[in-house]
Amino acid sequence: MLISVFVVATCGLIYELVAGTLASYLLGDSVTQFSTIIGTYLFAMGIGSYLSRFLKNNLLSWFITIELMVGMVGGFSAGVLFILFEQVIYFRVILYSLVILTGTLVGLELPLLMRILKDRIEFSDLVSRIFTFDYIGALFASLLFPLILIPYLGLLRTSFFFGFLNVSVAWVVAHRFQHDIKGYKKLKWSAVVCLALLGTGFALSEKLTALSETLTYPDKIVYAKSSPYQRIVLTRGTNDWRLFLNGNLQFSSLDEYRYHEALIHPGLGRLDHPENVLVLGGGDGMAVREILKYPSIKKITLVDLDNAVTDLFRSNASLRNLNQQSLLSPKIQVINQDAFVWIRDQQETFDFITVDFPDPSNYSLGKLYTTTFYRELYRILSPAGCLVIQSTSPFVARKSFWIVDATLKKSGFLTQAYHCYVPSFGEWGFVLGFKQKLDVPYHFPAGLKFISESTVQPLYSFPPDMTVTESAYNTLNNQVLVNTFEKEWADYTR
Amino acid sequence: MITRRNFVTRMAQGMAASLAWPALQSCKAPFHPVAHLSGPNFKLGHRLRAMNFKAPTAEEQTDVVIIGGGVAGLSAARYLKKSTSTFVLLELGEETGGNAMGGSNSISAYPWGAHYLPLPNDHDAELITFLREANAITGYENNLPVYNEYFLCFDPKERLFINQYWQDGLVPHEGVPEKDRGEIESFLALMHDFKTKKGSDGREAFTIPVEESSQDPELLKWDAITMEEFLRQHHFSSPYLLWYVAYCCADDFGSSLNDTSAWAGIHYFASRKGKSANAASDAVLTWPEGNFWLVKQLRQNLEPNIRTGALAYDVIENAGGVEILYFDDKSQTSRKIKARAVIMATPQFVSQRLLKADRGFDYKTFQYAPWMVANITTTAGLVERKGEPLSWDNVFYGSQSLGYVNALNQRVGMSSPEKVITYYQPLLGADPVTLRTRAYKTTAEEWTTAILNDLTKPHPEIEETIKDVNIWIWGHGMIKPVPNFIWGDHRSRAANPVDNRIFFAHSDLSGISIFEEAFYQGHKAARAVLNIV
Repeated sequence: MLISVFVVATCGLIYELVAGTLASYLLGDSVTQFSTIIGTYLFAMGIGSYLSRFLKNNLLSWFITIELMVGMVGGFSAGVLFILFEQVIYFRVILYSLVILTGTLVGLELPLLMRILKDRIEFSDLVSRIFTFDYIGALFASLLFPLILIPYLGLLRTSFFFGFLNVSVAWVVAHRFQHDIKGYKKLKWSAVVCLALLGTGFALSEKLTALSETLTYPDKIVYAKSSPYQRIVLTRGTNDWRLFLNGNLQFSSLDEYRYHEALIHPGLGRLDHPENVLVLGGGDGMAVREILKYPSIKKITLVDLDNAVTDLFRSNASLRNLNQQSLLSPKIQVINQDAFVWIRDQQETFDFITVDFPDPSNYSLGKLYTTTFYRELYRILSPAGCLVIQSTSPFVARKSFWIVDATLKKSGFLTQAYHCYVPSFGEWGFVLGFKQKLDVPYHFPAGLKFISESTVQPLYSFPPDMTVTESAYNTLNNQVLVNTFEKEWADYTR
Repeated sequence: MITRRNFVTRMAQGMAASLAWPALQSCKAPFHPVAHLSGPNFKLGHRLRAMNFKAPTAEEQTDVVIIGGGVAGLSAARYLKKSTSTFVLLELGEETGGNAMGGSNSISAYPWGAHYLPLPNDHDAELITFLREANAITGYENNLPVYNEYFLCFDPKERLFINQYWQDGLVPHEGVPEKDRGEIESFLALMHDFKTKKGSDGREAFTIPVEESSQDPELLKWDAITMEEFLRQHHFSSPYLLWYVAYCCADDFGSSLNDTSAWAGIHYFASRKGKSANAASDAVLTWPEGNFWLVKQLRQNLEPNIRTGALAYDVIENAGGVEILYFDDKSQTSRKIKARAVIMATPQFVSQRLLKADRGFDYKTFQYAPWMVANITTTAGLVERKGEPLSWDNVFYGSQSLGYVNALNQRVGMSSPEKVITYYQPLLGADPVTLRTRAYKTTAEEWTTAILNDLTKPHPEIEETIKDVNIWIWGHGMIKPVPNFIWGDHRSRAANPVDNRIFFAHSDLSGISIFEEAFYQGHKAARAVLNIV
C-alpha cells in the first residue's frame, strides 16, 4: 500500500506538471499559466480532501474506483486538451475544469488511503510514512518530468503513461485485497478496459501530435492549408503576420523588408537598365514588389512550384497589402512549375535572376543548389546580368553558406557574398553571381528602408566568425550541402 | 482502406495479362521477352521448336544479317552503320533491348532489367566513344571524361535496411559488431589489392572486357573454385561479410556463393576502375528507364535496318555466304535473306537451334540464371523506418531479394508522392531448370504475397499504397559464371566464328551478363565481319 502512495503521489504531480506545461505551450506566458494551474490544482486537492469525509463504507473499493478515474481523467487530459484547443472557443474553461477534476480526485486519494490504513498501522507511524512517500514521490516526479519524460516520451505519452500507472495501482490493490472488496470482478474488468484505452492512447500519441500543429506556432493561425507540396500556415500575432511553410518561418511582416531589400537591391541596383527578370521561388510576391521599383523592368517571370502560395498572395487582401499588389502587376507572369524542370527547357535570357528557395534541408531541395542547376542558370543569364541566391545563415550554417558560394564559382560564376541582419531570422546570407565584373555605381530606387549606398557596403564584409571555410561544392551525385546543412542546424538548435 | 485479401485479388486481376506470359510457357522460355507480355511473341518463339514454317516467299540480299536485338546485336549494328556495308537486324520481339528492356507508365519510365552502367575503364575506347556520341560524356578535363551530371546517379545513392534501421551505403555497418566490421574491412582491402594488381603477363589482373584480363595462372586458378571456397580459404566467416558478398554475386550474376566462380566474384570488386573529372570512381550512370536509355541511344539511326517480330529459324551456309530464313509475324510469311556473313547476337541456347554446324563445345555448359523483376507503382509515399531517406538503390539485409531501385531518383523536380519502384530477385537455391519451371508455375498471388512480405519489413503498410504490381519472369536472365566456365574451353570455343561467315556476339560469350561485355561482344563481331565484307 505504501508503494501505491509513492506511485499515486508521483502521478498526481505529473498531471499537474502536464497541465501547466500544456497551458504554457498553448496559451503562452508560462509564469502566469504555471502559477494559476498549480494554484487551482492545489485548491482542487483541498476540495477532494474535504469531500473524502462523505465517503463512508467500502473504502477500498472507493479508493480503487477513484484510482481508475484519476488514471482515465489524468491520462487522457493532455490528449483531450490538445485536440480541443483548435476546435473550442472556451478552451480555458475546459482546461481549468479538467485541472479541478483531476485535482479533486487526487485530493481524495491520500485521506482515503490514510483511513484504509489507520487500523493496520500505528497513527503516528502512518502519518509519517504516508507523507514521506508522498514527498519523495513529488521529488521523483519533478525530476523525472523535465529530464526524462518530456525529452524522451513527450507530453502526450507521459500523460497516458502515468494514467496507465494509476490504473495499474488500482488493479494491483484490487487483486491484493480481492476478498475484502465488494464487486471485485466489476472493478477488475473496469481496470482492464481502462488499461486498454490508455494503452491505445499511448500508441496513437504520435498521430495525435501530428494532428495538432498548435505547438509549433506561437501566434494565432489565421490560414492553414496543405497543398500537394507543403503545409502553408499563416499566423497573426499582436503586431505582425508570419508565413510558415512546413513549419519553417518564411517571413514576419515586421522585418521582411530587410530580407527582401537585401535580396534584391545589391544585385539589381547595379544593373544598367535591366528589363527582363526571373524570380525562382518567392511566391509571396515580396521580391517582386522590390523588383517593380525599377521603372526599366518590362517583364518579370515568377516560377513557384505551389499555386496555393501564389494564389493566396494574389487573393487575400491583407497579404496583397504586404506585397503591394505585386502579383497583380501586368508585368508579371506567374508559372506554377518545378523550377528545375522549367529551367531545363528555357531559352529566353534574363538580366537578373533571383533564387529564393527554401533552405537545402533535404535531397529534393538540395538539387536546386547544385552545379547542374547553376549551370542552367548561367546559360540563361544575359552577359552583363547578375543573379542572387538566398544562401541560409552564414552564422548558423557557415560551411553551408560557403558551399553555395563555391558551387556557384565551380559553375562558372564570379561571386560576391554578403549578409544582413533580419531580426526574425537572425544573421542571413546571400551570394551574387556574375558572368563579368560589374563595377558600376549603385542606383537604388527611392524609399528603401534598409538598403542605401552607405548601408550596402558593410554587408560585403564578413566578421571572422562568418568568413569563408569551405571549398567543397554541391553536385547532384554528391550532395555535400544537404548533410552539412543538416548537421550545422542540428548543432545550433540542440 | 483495402484488406490484404482483396488487394491480392485485385492485383491478380491486374496482372492476369502479364502473368499469362510465363504461365503459357510450359517448358523452355522464349528469347528476348518484349514489352507486351501476352501471346504472340511467345507463340512465335515456340514455333522454333516445332519448325513448321512454309517455304520462303521473298528473297533479298544484304551484306550482313544480325540475329538478335539485345545490347550485343544493337552494338554490332551501331558499328556496322558507320561503314558502307548493308545489313539487317532481326528481332523476335516487338521491341529491341533484350535484358536492358524498359517500360513506362503515367508516373515514370522504369527498367525491366539492367539499370545502370558503372563508369567504364579508360581503355574501353569504343564504349567511351559511344558514351561521347550519346552525350553521356560531355567533354574532357585534365584528360578525364566529364560525365553528364543528369546521368550520374543522384545522391542519395544507396541505403541498407539492417537492424531496423536504414544505414547509408550497402556495406553493413549499422549495429554490426567490431569484429565483423574488421573482417569486412580486410576483405575489401584484399579486393582492392586485386583491383590494382597486374598479372605476370603485365596485364591488369581483372578488367572489363573480361577477355583483356591477365592470363597469369596464379590469378586464373581462382576460376576453379567457388566464391564460398575462396572465402573459406581466406578465413572469412563473418555472417555480415558473407551476406554482403552473396548479395554482390546475386546482384551481378544471379548466382549464389556456392556456384559462383571465385574469379568472377573477385572480378565484381576488382574490375571497375573508371575515372572521371566530376565523379568518384564508384559512381554509376543511370536513367529512370535503366539501361533502356542506352538501348535507345544505340539504335538511333538504326530504325531502317531493324525488323521486329522477325523470327530467324534457319541459318544455311552456301558457297557465296549464308542464307537466313526468317518468319515475319506481321505478314505471316517466311522470307529469305542472302548475306555474306551473319552475326548471331543470340544466347547460345538459341543459337543451338538455328545452327547445324558442330561448334566443338557442349551447349550445356552455358547455364542461365532465372530472375523475377517487378515494377510496383504506389499512390503515396512509402512509410519509412528510421535512418537514411529513400535512395536510388534500397537493399534489405538478409533478404532473398536485391531490394528495389527508385525510378524517380534521377528526376530533378521535387519528389512526387507517387512512386515507381523496381524490385529485383534472382531465383537462387536450386539448378536453373528447376528454378525456371518453378517460376513459371508460381501464380500472381504467390509472387505478390512474397514481394509484399519482403517489402513490409522496411515499409510497414505498403500494401495500402500500392496501385499495381507488374511482374516479369526472365527465364534465362543471366549467364552464370560457375567455376571453370569463364576460363574453360567451352566458352572460348563457342566464341570462334564458323567458316569465317558465322560470327557470334552475346554477353554469355564473356561469361558475365553486363552491358559492357555485350557491347564489347557486338563491337568485336562487327569489326571481324567488316574484314570480310
